[in-house]
Amino acid sequence: MKMMARNRQAIFWALFFPLMLVVVFGLFDFNGVGAADVSVIDQSGGPRAELFRERLSEIEFLDLEFEDLDIAAARDKVADGDLGYLIIIPELFDDPAGQAQAEGPAPVMLVYSTRNPDRNQLVDGAVRNLVSHIQSGGAPVIPSQLLTADVIQVSEVDYFDNVLLGLLGLGIMTNSIISIAVRISTFRNQSILKRLLVTPLPIWKFFAAEIVAHVILALVQAGIILSLGVFAFGGHVNGNIVWVLAITALGSIVFLNIGFILSAWAKSPAAASGMGNAVALPMMFLGGTFFSTAALPWILPELSFALPLTPMLAALRDVAIDSEPIWETWPYLAAMGGWVVATALAATKVFKFG
Amino acid sequence: MEPAVQVENLVKRFGSFTAVDGVTFAVERGEVFGILGPNGAGKTTTLEIIESLQKPTEGRVSVLGLDVQSDAAKVKTRIGVQLQASAYYDYLNLKEILALFGSFYPSKVSPESLLDQVGLADKAASRMSELSGGQRQRFAVAASLVNNPELVILDEPTAGLDPQARRNLWGLIREVNGRGVTVVMTTHYMEEAETLCNRLAIMDHGQILALDTPRSLINQLKASYAVKLTLDKPMTVAQLESLNGGVELVHSEEQSEETADEDAKAENTYLLRLANSPTALRSMLDEIDKAGLGLENLQITPVTLEDVFLEMTGSELRD
Repeated sequence: MKMMARNRQAIFWALFFPLMLVVVFGLFDFNGVGAADVSVIDQSGGPRAELFRERLSEIEFLDLEFEDLDIAAARDKVADGDLGYLIIIPELFDDPAGQAQAEGPAPVMLVYSTRNPDRNQLVDGAVRNLVSHIQSGGAPVIPSQLLTADVIQVSEVDYFDNVLLGLLGLGIMTNSIISIAVRISTFRNQSILKRLLVTPLPIWKFFAAEIVAHVILALVQAGIILSLGVFAFGGHVNGNIVWVLAITALGSIVFLNIGFILSAWAKSPAAASGMGNAVALPMMFLGGTFFSTAALPWILPELSFALPLTPMLAALRDVAIDSEPIWETWPYLAAMGGWVVATALAATKVFKFG
Repeated sequence: MEPAVQVENLVKRFGSFTAVDGVTFAVERGEVFGILGPNGAGKTTTLEIIESLQKPTEGRVSVLGLDVQSDAAKVKTRIGVQLQASAYYDYLNLKEILALFGSFYPSKVSPESLLDQVGLADKAASRMSELSGGQRQRFAVAASLVNNPELVILDEPTAGLDPQARRNLWGLIREVNGRGVTVVMTTHYMEEAETLCNRLAIMDHGQILALDTPRSLINQLKASYAVKLTLDKPMTVAQLESLNGGVELVHSEEQSEETADEDAKAENTYLLRLANSPTALRSMLDEIDKAGLGLENLQITPVTLEDVFLEMTGSELRD
């Protein structure tokens, strides 16, 4: 740790790159009111409902879908954030007699989550006005009776929260892979590894010391990135921070092992740095650092889960954003555990001291 | 008591290349044993097998009575090693490096005491980058003594040092040996080998060509004087061969079949050895006169270890 702490230049670059990205992404306004994706379930099917749907589709900031969805499934989609808004047109919407019998208008149901309060206000207002206009027929009505809002309470989350955890994974990955590859390559070039070999120091202690020092650095790095993201740019970490750090440590070990493997092949520290970047950069884009891997074309979304960064980020997001307990992320942890074992075996096989 | 180092029929091959080819020698406890040879002679490979850094292809090596293969960990606790051109951690000071390396051993000498021994007590808080070449080498020797070893292996400890720094280090090696520590060292420097080593193995092409005390090795030479002469034009091989009356050609710049090559023509410098005979020098000069060659420079010196080396290897030290 002492040696690492004194290598200020290395620490500076290890922290600078991800922090710079936090700052850049923090400055973007990801939460501007964009198009709202809306699903409509029409239980009425009458002409008035059709008019309502027609008018809805004329509202510019609403991106309408008329899927044949089950109400419960659609509501789950809203809760999970896969759908912005759900509008349910009731069966009695076009049935004045029925409404009279029910002693009041059949209210349209608008379902949304608490993820985006600004946009919620806008959508709620627009839909409420439209229902009011269509249902009143010119007569005064109480708008609150025409539209019922079903607000699903979810943890506060936005795109920046996702990106913040992506940046955390990115920082840990690049620092772990490149730092250890360059460090070991330098030690080998300077015959420091050879010098250690002529001492009775067991080799496993050397590796353990390197891994422990780098994992501690990774945890400090995680603390700084998350603090900056939360306190300076309004990000959120809803889950248990200890679990977030545990996943960070596990991910760091995977990437350190990859660094050890690369250092065995690198002829010089500069080559080790280049190789580290060559491995880290594709993973940065394919691992879901900034954007969901679901947006990737072809079979890349499935393939991306074969990369070690993807399960790490998925576990981090499930725990930090969705407040899931760490054991709920066991498939991701198992994938990372597999990577730890596989990379450790490979590192042991290919590592060279001289 | 078993010897400090016992090497028997040692062979080390890297693919088709044989780096060490059937080497046998023993290093007695308390002596300074030198291995002299050009680069690629197999010195460092031999040392690395003694240090358990490499496995021998054939043969057996024991250190302080322990087999270096089966008892590697025990051997490492009892020996000190200074590798050729080894660096130390950049971000630790000298005292911290010695404390770190000392922590690898069951018994250790205090960093302050080690730094004091090598005259670097005032540099305890300095880092390696702040040391001169001589200071670095002295520190490397200090680092090899952290475990108070019974045997110290020094691989070219004075390489690249200026004469004064080299002599300082010689004093240190003598001091360490004076405390009863056996020293095995390799060197490029004849004077160093002659001054420091109780016994010396001359090695080339993976084999030991001679092994004895420096004085005995010198005495084995028939010649007593080395003659370096520079002529105004190159000699043919036939002319060189005519310089026989007690004269032995040791070296000339790359001779071709009939005449010296272009470099040799430019230099026209020849190194010969002369028997201890009153007529040998006159006979040689007469032959040069007869051949119509002009003598531009003539140096006559008593034979040294370098002459032994040249006779054994047929070449100068390859750097």
